[in-house]
Order: sequence, then structure tokens, then C-alpha cells
Amino acid sequence: MEKGHGHGNSYGMVIDLDKCTGCGTCMVACAAENNLAVRPDESDKQRSITWMRLYKVTNGKEFPHTEVCYFPRPCMQCDHHTPCVSVCPATATKMDYHTGIVSQIYTRCIGCRYCIAACPYHARTFNWWDAYFPKGKGLERYLSPEVSPRMRGVVEKCTFCHHRLMRAKNNAYAEERRELEEGEYITACTEACPAQAITFGDLKNPEHKVSELVKSRYAFRLLEKLGTEPKVYYLSTKDWVRRMADNYLPGEFKPIAKVKLG
Amino acid sequence: MENPATSPKKSSKGGWISFLKGLLPTENGSAFVPPFSLIGWIFLLAGFFGAFTFGWVVYPVALYSRQPQPISFNHALHLDPDVGGIEGDTETEKCLYCHEFRDDGTFSGIPKLAKCTECHDDPESPLGETQQEKEFMEKYVAGQKEIPWLIYYRQPDCVYFSHIAHVKMGKIECQTCHGDHSKTEKLPIYRANLLTGYSINIWGKNIAGYKTNTWDRMKMDDCAECHTKKGHEENNACFVCHK
Amino acid sequence: MELNRRNFIKFLVGGAAGIQLTPLPWKLTDDIAIWTQNWPWVPVPPVGEFIHEKSICTLCPGGCGIEVRKVDDRAVKIEGRTDYPVNPGGICPVGMGGLQLQYNESIRFTRPMKRVGPRGSGVFIDISWDEALTMLAGRISGLREKAMPEALAAVDGNPARSTLSLMIERLVKAVGSPNYVRIPCAEDTYEMANFLMQGTLGPMAYDLENADYVLSFGSGLLEGWGAPGRVINAWGLWHENPAKKRVKIVQVESRASSTASKADRWIAAKPGTEAALALGLCHVIIKDGLYDSEFVNECSFGFDDFSSAGGKDRAGFKTMVLKKYSPAKVAEITGVASDDIVSLARDFAGAKAPVAICGKGKGSLSGSLYEFMAVNSLNAITGRINKPGGILVHEPIPLSSLPEIDFDDIASQGLEKPRFDAAGSTKYPFSNSLINNLAAAINRSPESPVDTLLVFAANPVHTLPDGGAFRKALKKIPFIVSFSPFRDETAYMADLILPDHTYLEKTDDIVWPAGLQYPLFGLSLPVLEPVYNTRNAADVILKLAKQIGNSVESAFPWKRFEEVLKERAKGLYSSGAGLVDYDGTNPVWKRLKEGTGPGPDYASFEEMWKKIVSGGLWYRLEHTYKNWDNLFETPSGKFEFFSSKIELAVNAYAEQAGIDWALRDMGLAGKGDDVFMPHYEETASDADRSTFPLMMLPFEIINLTSTWVPNPPFLNKALFDTQLRGDESFVEINPETAAKYNVGQGDRIIIKSPEGEVRVRANLFEGAMPGVLFMPLGFGHSAYDEFSKGKGVNPNDIIHAGKDPLSGYPVWWNTPVKIIKV
Repeated sequence: MEKGHGHGNSYGMVIDLDKCTGCGTCMVACAAENNLAVRPDESDKQRSITWMRLYKVTNGKEFPHTEVCYFPRPCMQCDHHTPCVSVCPATATKMDYHTGIVSQIYTRCIGCRYCIAACPYHARTFNWWDAYFPKGKGLERYLSPEVSPRMRGVVEKCTFCHHRLMRAKNNAYAEERRELEEGEYITACTEACPAQAITFGDLKNPEHKVSELVKSRYAFRLLEKLGTEPKVYYLSTKDWVRRMADNYLPGEFKPIAKVKLG
Repeated sequence: MENPATSPKKSSKGGWISFLKGLLPTENGSAFVPPFSLIGWIFLLAGFFGAFTFGWVVYPVALYSRQPQPISFNHALHLDPDVGGIEGDTETEKCLYCHEFRDDGTFSGIPKLAKCTECHDDPESPLGETQQEKEFMEKYVAGQKEIPWLIYYRQPDCVYFSHIAHVKMGKIECQTCHGDHSKTEKLPIYRANLLTGYSINIWGKNIAGYKTNTWDRMKMDDCAECHTKKGHEENNACFVCHK
Repeated sequence: MELNRRNFIKFLVGGAAGIQLTPLPWKLTDDIAIWTQNWPWVPVPPVGEFIHEKSICTLCPGGCGIEVRKVDDRAVKIEGRTDYPVNPGGICPVGMGGLQLQYNESIRFTRPMKRVGPRGSGVFIDISWDEALTMLAGRISGLREKAMPEALAAVDGNPARSTLSLMIERLVKAVGSPNYVRIPCAEDTYEMANFLMQGTLGPMAYDLENADYVLSFGSGLLEGWGAPGRVINAWGLWHENPAKKRVKIVQVESRASSTASKADRWIAAKPGTEAALALGLCHVIIKDGLYDSEFVNECSFGFDDFSSAGGKDRAGFKTMVLKKYSPAKVAEITGVASDDIVSLARDFAGAKAPVAICGKGKGSLSGSLYEFMAVNSLNAITGRINKPGGILVHEPIPLSSLPEIDFDDIASQGLEKPRFDAAGSTKYPFSNSLINNLAAAINRSPESPVDTLLVFAANPVHTLPDGGAFRKALKKIPFIVSFSPFRDETAYMADLILPDHTYLEKTDDIVWPAGLQYPLFGLSLPVLEPVYNTRNAADVILKLAKQIGNSVESAFPWKRFEEVLKERAKGLYSSGAGLVDYDGTNPVWKRLKEGTGPGPDYASFEEMWKKIVSGGLWYRLEHTYKNWDNLFETPSGKFEFFSSKIELAVNAYAEQAGIDWALRDMGLAGKGDDVFMPHYEETASDADRSTFPLMMLPFEIINLTSTWVPNPPFLNKALFDTQLRGDESFVEINPETAAKYNVGQGDRIIIKSPEGEVRVRANLFEGAMPGVLFMPLGFGHSAYDEFSKGKGVNPNDIIHAGKDPLSGYPVWWNTPVKIIKV
């Protein structure tokens, strides 16, 4: 498996679904950090703008054997044949081989939504309207200058809080360092998760916790068979959860034998 | 039926070709009938040169606003050692005295009033006696009001720029990009593009797009050009400069 | 030279050609392109210096540490603090979205106002603070002049034990009214259960992080229970290493909530039968001899049968449990298989450090007293009281109490009068306040006994599970004053608005975060300048007291609220213990097990106070574990399975008209000695179960506020479209039950209870108990702005509120309903 074509880093994320409690703090932290617009009606999920979205799945069993699991879904930052990048006619989205992060430039986006159609993870959303900041309400006062608010007619998606990478670099430069320590650059969702279910770091750096976690027997990615090499990994000890991550032929999915608990 | 497209008669039946032929002098000079009268040519050229002048002379002026800064500022005086001005080993160090980096590595840009009042906090502090200086003390210092400076080099909201990466890590002198301000005694008029709102210093001083100095224009291609020249192509990735 | 048509065209053609040779068209194209990138109506956030301010979040009694990122004077993000012991870095989604409560003019009051339109229309005009205070002080003085100071009442929703709460209570008392009423929550029921069984006054302190088996009776560990930043962090710790997982979580709940479905084991007991289950577990543990004999024999009272003073034989807890709570019987009551009850009991008793916890949902609604006592008994028989990983028993936090009030005659006479809600009377001997009774008293009498009502940090119109009784009562109260910073439903009913600061603008404290296992005093300091003309309610009270004068004025000798806080903190200093520094490297719960903490890390009171102001906390590590001989302050000096205090109280009440009458009137269905011990009673209901064959149970979710705090709009993104779609909210219903009524996914139905009806859509969910309809709390606002107004329905509107036996708190888990398909 070839990873991160060039030199530099390959930032990735590991989300432990056993720890994830579905509280949605990651979604809110993401929205607050990245100046996401909120419309009065957010219940139409095809129109609601989210970079980090929580999906709820159940094992479908009858009461009282029902189990629920939540999948937090950021942009997968696909490493290989990045589907959105390959279709963008305006070069508004690119993968940076030095960070592994897929960029999205709003001022360049022409709003054709080809990338939305191409993304297998529904990680991209379109601004059907201008951001909702009615006059006199004063909501715009909480906007952060680190992320540019979007105009209508463009596509947006999770950027792995790229501005936090820039912030961390600035911090390092102030101390005349070039290399970032582990944990200096983490995404807003990683930082916010009260269950510490999200781990973020450089997949190429063997000293980072993520590169250890992705080797776990419980690690998997979404729709791995597509070969897009997502840089977001999930962990779950539950077979029914892991089975949901991809489409399997009968008998193809290999359950992990239950480890005897101490 | 005859195919009209292949009909040999076609060219003789008027149309564009015969019209163009009409414009050319024929062998028989007396048969020449100019398509335009002289007056016609005058109107044509008047339109041509009028538009030409408008585009080159009027438009570049009309495109930009002209706003003076709220108060005058003399860079040269502040750096003059004779009046106890700012000292420093290098030019950059002198600039950074006011245009400083914060502890978190962010760049403060145009200093806040608090920076001014570090020296000009009371009537005893060094200050001249011009009307502008009086206004500065009364309106801003005494009134604790920030000076609404117009910023020449503010990039649009979609752009991210790290000064520290260039100045501290890239070892680029301030004047390399901004020119030498140590001798400027007056602040230039601030001019903003009326359509885009961009400052002329960002958008390009020359209407035709020529630039002689780095500080004449600071658009995306200018950044990329320098990155490439210095062998930092990786910094041409979109997210390095966009947010 | 004639400008005719032909020449004009030539002029234009020449111009068109000429313009091509200038930069104009190319530049213009570029400019227009850029113009479209910078629409003037797309906000451009101003840049500036990043400033990080630390404080604590007081949106709920959890008191998590927060760090606010500011750009110059504008707050742009709230994050969790890693150097605060309650929550190591994480906070809940509500706290994360807090800035949308700060910067939203349409949900905030920007200045004092008085009502001009009809009640509830929300039409107010601006007045000045002086005018507003004069108006209110005049009204209160008027009541005192008429010698009816008791007609002043206050409803307070501030966190229990907070200094602001003390100030409000003090104001009401100093005026001469006993009618200080709190919004009931699980904390009240904890206190009552602890008081009756342990005789202690400290709050409930579960040492969750050090437990290895957590049996939760409906506590929404993942729904926002306790301090969410702490509890969810503990959840992460429990699941740190799947191969070496040593902690087991068991959830007792009737619905597959996040907690239930993510727990290691889910026990689906019928709502309201938790007490029976807890006692069933006790049965198995006693029968199998798995109980802690040292605790039970040496340190408890009423476990075995005994003879009371008159030589009467009394049945003890053991006899009662063995007789009445066999697994088979409990299985019948709870719907849990008896095998499960047996295995659960053995697992619990067999664990090294098990703990059973109670308090349903977020804990923002009151609980059932006997249920809490039953759960406490389960902890007690397994010897989990005051042991690491169990329930820790503490004294209240050593803050100084405020000086005694020197009441004047009017005040003393007013305080002699009975409370309108009868809390603390012989009928409700253990309750401090009963807001449901207050509403009933007002609704009962032709004229409201309350003349002036002050409402602090509460929105009872929306949050009380009373089927709209409080809303009805408000209409009768002549004068209502709201101190809410938000334009909530209760404030809409008010005559005078004295808006408080938001939590980011005010000085406040959290005295012992909800459920925390060690004493902690959290100080919240303003991180932002007030953006509107609002004032801290505590400072308003100080001003108001001055204007009322007399003993009210002398009861408040302080100029500013900060002085009050500092004065109270003196008690912390003189306790001679406690720490004010915390760097986040060594979690407190890890150090706690040792029992001996380091001495105080400050030398003088001033140093301590300075550090509290900068760090926001004081906490104590020292704790004497076990200590069973000296721990309990009950009449017997032991842990009481058989509560002497209940016996005394019931007998006292029975003096009026006999024991049978007394029990009936106190809402008790139990008989004999059972009444004095934790036992299970079917919740009484006057509804006809044949008309209303189903049950409705409201539930709380973490990403939707159900308290007086408005819901930050960001949280709407985190709601599923099976919870809210457009303006319609969903009820969760088991597919089997739905099929019975021919209801399909997304169908619109009417849910009808004896109190009224609501229109919702159905969400078929296998995790919902058959026969029970589950409705989320927090929807159905008629106030606030377009982000929450008119969205969904409020289950509180149809709750058929009963009363919890003995405690008198509202019962919200037993509403009989029927469904009608639309």
C-alpha cells in the first residue's frame, strides 16, 4: 500500500467507536471552530451543512437486544484516487501530498457539485443559501477569523482544521522550531471529544499514537474496498459494527473471535 | 436536387467575401468607392482613441477610491536616533519593535493604540506640536479610541498569510516585500478598488499588470512565483495560503 | 460633421476596438470575478489578538472547566480546560455551543423592561435600572407595609448550594416570606435519601472512576448526567483498552438510550419499577450470603428484625426483602427475567468495587425517594458506603455561612406563616420545597396567595413536568419579575424584566459539581464584558435590599457580590485543608484513593483567594474512608435500612387522624413497617387504564437542552431527522406496538393523556419498550427565536403528574396515554 505519495506528513484520525457516546460535541465543536452556518431548519439533512456528521446505526435486533452505535464522519481525506479531486473541473479541491489533507478553496469553487456526487462518504455539502446571519441578531460576533465564512453556491467540507495546523506551525516558528510535537496540531473534534474517542496525528510517524492504533485488529475504514485509502480509521470490538463499514459477500466478512475478558 | 453547399455559383452571389472584396481597391482605380467617407473615419477613430484614452488614463484613476489616513505618521522620525527613535541591530528588528510578533507567533500588523502609548502616554513624552499630533493625543490617547488605520496590505478574507514563516523562518527582510519605509515621512493615500474593495497595494499598482517592485502587487501568482523561485513549491499547495 | 446613425455606429465600433487595447476589459472581468467572491452580506470576521480566558461553565450544576478563545474582546470559541479536575479537557455539546447564547440578540433581554401588552404577548418597553428597581422595591415594601410579606415568593433554578441561591433565599427570608421555592432535581432526592439513611447533609458523591462495576438505575451517564465532561471522560477511561477492560457498566432503563445500548449489559425494566429491581437484587445477595456482614451487623440499623422501645416486634429489611422481593416476584413487576436478576445480583456482589447509582436522565428532574433508598440499600448491603469506588460520605463543603439575619417584626411574623407549598410541614416532612404544590395552591384558591413572584434561572412554564399547571398558576399571580437573561416562556409571562448577565459575563460559583466524589468549589469569573445593559442578579439583590431598607438592608451589608463570595471562602481557609493548584497531569480521582492528601498549598487567606480567582477552584483530597463507626448521624448512629426519621414523621402526622389516614394522605400505598424502609410501590394513578392503555415517558438527550437554558442552534445539526423533521418532533415507539395501532414510520399521530394532547410523528425504534411511548424533552418552545420556537412538542404539556410517596415531588414517569392516528 502506497501512502502519501511524497515527503512530509500524512495526517490521519482514529475514532474509537466503543468510546464514542454519540453526544455530538465533535459536531458542535467543528461547527463553532469552522464558522459553519446554521439555518433555522437543520432537519433536512441533505441541506444541513456539517463537516463532521454523526450517523446512528442499530444492530436491528428486537427489544431488549437492540444496540446502537454512532459513527462520527469527518472528511476521509482519501489518499488514493481522491474521488472529489479527480472530478473537480475548477481545481478547487486538491490533495496536498505534504500533509495528506484534501483542500477546498471556496473562492475557486464553481458550485457544480460534481465532487458531492463523487464522494462515497457524503462528506461534502453545498451552500444552497448564503450563511444565515440576519441583521440585528448579532450572531456573526462569534465567527472566528481563522476560517473564511462561505458564500452561497460553493461546496464545503471538513479540512482537518487545517488552520490549526497553521496555528501550530506559527507557534512552533515563534520558538524557532520547524517540527511539530505530537498533539500540537489536533482537530477541534479531537480536542473536544469528552470521551477521548478521537486520536489524531501523523500516520507516517511511528511515534504517533495513531500509527499504533491503525494496526489494531479492531481497526477498519469505511468502504475500504473502493480503494480510496481513507485516512480516517475506526475501532470497534463489535463485529456487527465492523460489518457495517463495507459491503460484504455472504461469508466474506471475518468476525473477530471474542477476546476473553479478564 | 443540386447541393447548395457545392454550387459553384455561390461565391458570386454577394455575402461576406464580396463585401470584403469591395473594401479593396480594384485594378480600375476610378471604380474605387471607399466604404467609409472621411467623416466616417473620423468618427471611427474618435471612438477608438476615446476608448483607448479612457481605458488607459481615466479608468485606472476612476477605479480606485482615494482615502487619506485618519492621522499622519512619520516612519522616518520614529526611526531617527537624534530624537530618541527606535533602535535595533537590523532593519527588521526596528520594524518589529512596533509591527511585532505576538507570543503565539501571530503578527500584530498595524500596531494598536496601546503600542503608541507605550511611549506617548503622557504630555511629558516626546511629541511635536503639530495639529495632527495634538489631535492624536486628544482624540485617540485621551479618548482611548483606536485609530482607524487604513491597511495597505490587508489580504482578503480567503487568504491566510504567516509573517513569522517568512520573516523568522524564511529570513526575509521586511523591506524585501514591503519596501524601505525607514525614510518615508508621509503615509500615502489609501486607494481601494471600488469593485472588489481590495487595496491597490494588493491588487497591483500598474493597471497593465507590470510590476517593478515586490510591493507593487501581492496577488496569488506573486506568492507562487517567489515560492517557486526559492524552491519551495510545496508551499504552493492551496491550503498553505487559503483558509 | 453630422452625427447620424451610421456615424454613431462607427464611433461605437471604433470605441469597441479601442477598448480592447486597454487593460479595462480584462481587469474588469477579473474584478467582477473577485467581486462575486466577496459579497458584502457574507460576514468577514475581524482579525485581532487571540486571548484565552479560563473560567467554569455554569450552564448546568456540573461546573466543567472552560477556556474561552477571544479575538480582542470578541469570544469566538469555547473549549474544555485540561487543567481543571472535573473535566479533563472535554465538555458537553451545550457548553461547546454556548457562544450562540451569548451573541444572539433575539433570545436575550438587552435591558430592563416592563410589560405593556397583555400577559404572555411578549410586548415590553424599555425602562431604566433605577426605575425598575424602584418599582420592585416599592412593591415589596408595600407588601411589608400591608403585613403580608409572605405574599412574596421566589422560584430559583440556580445550582443547589450556589451562593447566588443563598442570596435569593436570604432576600425572601429577610423580607419575611417563607416561600422560597426551588426547581426540583435529582439532587434534592439524593439529599433526602442520604439524610434519612445516613443522616448526613453532604451531597451524593459517586466514586465512579475508581469503581469496576457500575450499575446505573436509569442514570443517563451518556445523556448529560452529573458533570458531563467528567462522566463521559470516565466512559472513555473505562474503554481505554478493549483487551484489558476491567470495568463493567450495566444500565437499567426501559429504552435503548445511548447509555443503555453502549453499556456492557442492558436490563430493560419497566419505568418506575427500579426500586423493585434493586430490592430483588438485595434479595439474591442476602439469600446467597453475599452481603458485607461487617457493615450490616455492626454499622446498620434495621437490617435484622428487632424489638422497638415498647417491646414490639419489628420486621427488618432482610425479612421484608426475603419475603416480598423474590426474583420471580420482581420479574413480574419489572419485566426483567428472574435469571437475569439472579445473575446481575451475583455479578454486582462479586465485583471488587461495585457501585449502584440512581437519578434518571440528566438528573435535572426529581427522583423517587424509595427508589433512591432502595439503590442506596444495595450499596449498603454490599458494604460500598464510603469506600473507594463506592459512595463517599462527606460533610458539606466548609464555606462560611452568611451571618444571621436580624429579622424585624414584620419579617418574623411573616416567617411564622406556613409555606404555600406545605414543604417541611408534617405532611411533607422531608422536602425543602415543592413547586408542584405551589402551583396547585395557586390554582386552587380564587385569588393567588402569591402577590409577587421572582423567577431566577428557571423556566418552569416549559420545564416542569406538570401538564401545564404552573403556566396556569402564573396567569393568576398579580406581579411576576423575571431575572432571566433569556426571552423564555416564563419571562414572557412576567411584568418586569431585570435581565441577568449570561454565564460568560458574570461572577458565579458552583459549590460541589453534581455527583463529584470530592468537595470542590468552582468560581466562575466574567470572561467577557457585558454586551448589553444587564446586571448580575446577585448585585441587583444587593441594590434592591438597600432600597427596601430596614432589616432587609441590614441583611445585605455588602456592596458587591464578589465580597460575598470572598467572605464565604474564608470558611475554606479556616478548614485548614484543601488545594487551589491543579495542573492536569495527575487526575484527582487517582490521588483520591490514598485518602491522605497534601496539606493546603497556600499560606494565607489572601493567597488562597488570589489563586481561586485565577485558577477557579478549591478542592480537597483528604478523606477518611470507611470510618463506619463515626460516619452516620442518624438517630441510631448507624446506617438505617429502617429509617427512624420516617417512623417519627409518620407517627407525628398520624396523631391528627390515625395511621391509616396519615399513610393515605402522605401518598403511601405501603403498609406496616415497609413504609419506613425502602420498598416498591406501584405509582398511584387516577387515570382509567382502559381509556389510556399505553404509557408515555419523557427522556433527555445530551444534545438538546431541557432545562431553563436555551438550546444553542449548532445542536440542531446534531439532531437526527428521526427526532425532528421540519417543525415536527418524533415519538419513539416499538414496531410491535406501532403495528398494533397500524402506525408506520413517520406517520403523524396524536398522543392523548388526561391532561391534553400533542401531535407528533412516529419513529419506529426496536429499542423502545413495547407499550411505552418515548418523547424527548426540550422541544416545543413557544419562546426564543426561529431556531427553537415552534419546533416539536413538549411532553411536559401532557404529563399527568402524580406525587411521589412521602417526598411529594412530581412523578413524571407514569403518564397514561392513548394514540390516535391522524
